[in-house]
Amino acid sequence: MADPLLMDRMFQRIMRGLVERGRAPHYAEVARALGIGAVDGRLLLHDVMSAYPIGWLHPETDYIASFPPLNNLPTQYRVSVRGEQRWFAQCGFEATSVTWLFPGEAVRVDAPCLDCGDPVTIEMRDGRIAWVDPPGVVGHLNYGFGPSRGRPAFL
Amino acid sequence: MNLFRSEEHARRWSAFQPRAEEGFIGLAELAGFFGTETRRHMLDADYLSAWYPRRGAERRAYLERIGKISPFWQGTPDPDRG
Repeated sequence: MADPLLMDRMFQRIMRGLVERGRAPHYAEVARALGIGAVDGRLLLHDVMSAYPIGWLHPETDYIASFPPLNNLPTQYRVSVRGEQRWFAQCGFEATSVTWLFPGEAVRVDAPCLDCGDPVTIEMRDGRIAWVDPPGVVGHLNYGFGPSRGRPAFL
Repeated sequence: MNLFRSEEHARRWSAFQPRAEEGFIGLAELAGFFGTETRRHMLDADYLSAWYPRRGAERRAYLERIGKISPFWQGTPDPDRG
């Protein structure tokens, strides 16, 4: 496992890259910023993802697919800040965590209901729910956490 | 882990698992579950090394506080599923 300080620095480069641009940087970009070679950057990325297993790379690639609470691969959970829809949440649950990446900002999540396709909208600011439409919106865990689950919990 | 317009909508979802009848969580509780202390430090320089490792225990404690103590929620071995 790599130096913890270097792993922290790569983690922050990825998270802040997602927050600032709506997409995760490639490991070669992060490596340069950290002053290491691309080969070491790739190894460092894999160490970071191992230490943060709630995210994942696209299978058989070095591309970041998910880095919760945000997703680099689009999902149905569209996130808007300052009126701009630039981000995606990993899942409906992590969507409620995105607020902590945008302190002081109104964070809006729009998604289609998987049953009917009608909209589900929530707006949060600094962790507080400011608006919900429709009022009966609920979260649902379909497979359970940990060993009891049969498929990835984000589904 | 999805958001639905209501519990009835979730139950009508084609992929709804019968076992997941216990999988509902109100939006306020969900925001609390995903807003525990560690999640508020995701932009801290030491999040990965100092904060993330505490996340699991913190989340289990929160789930206990809101009464979600089953293996389904706690991620503990489930005797009903071998």
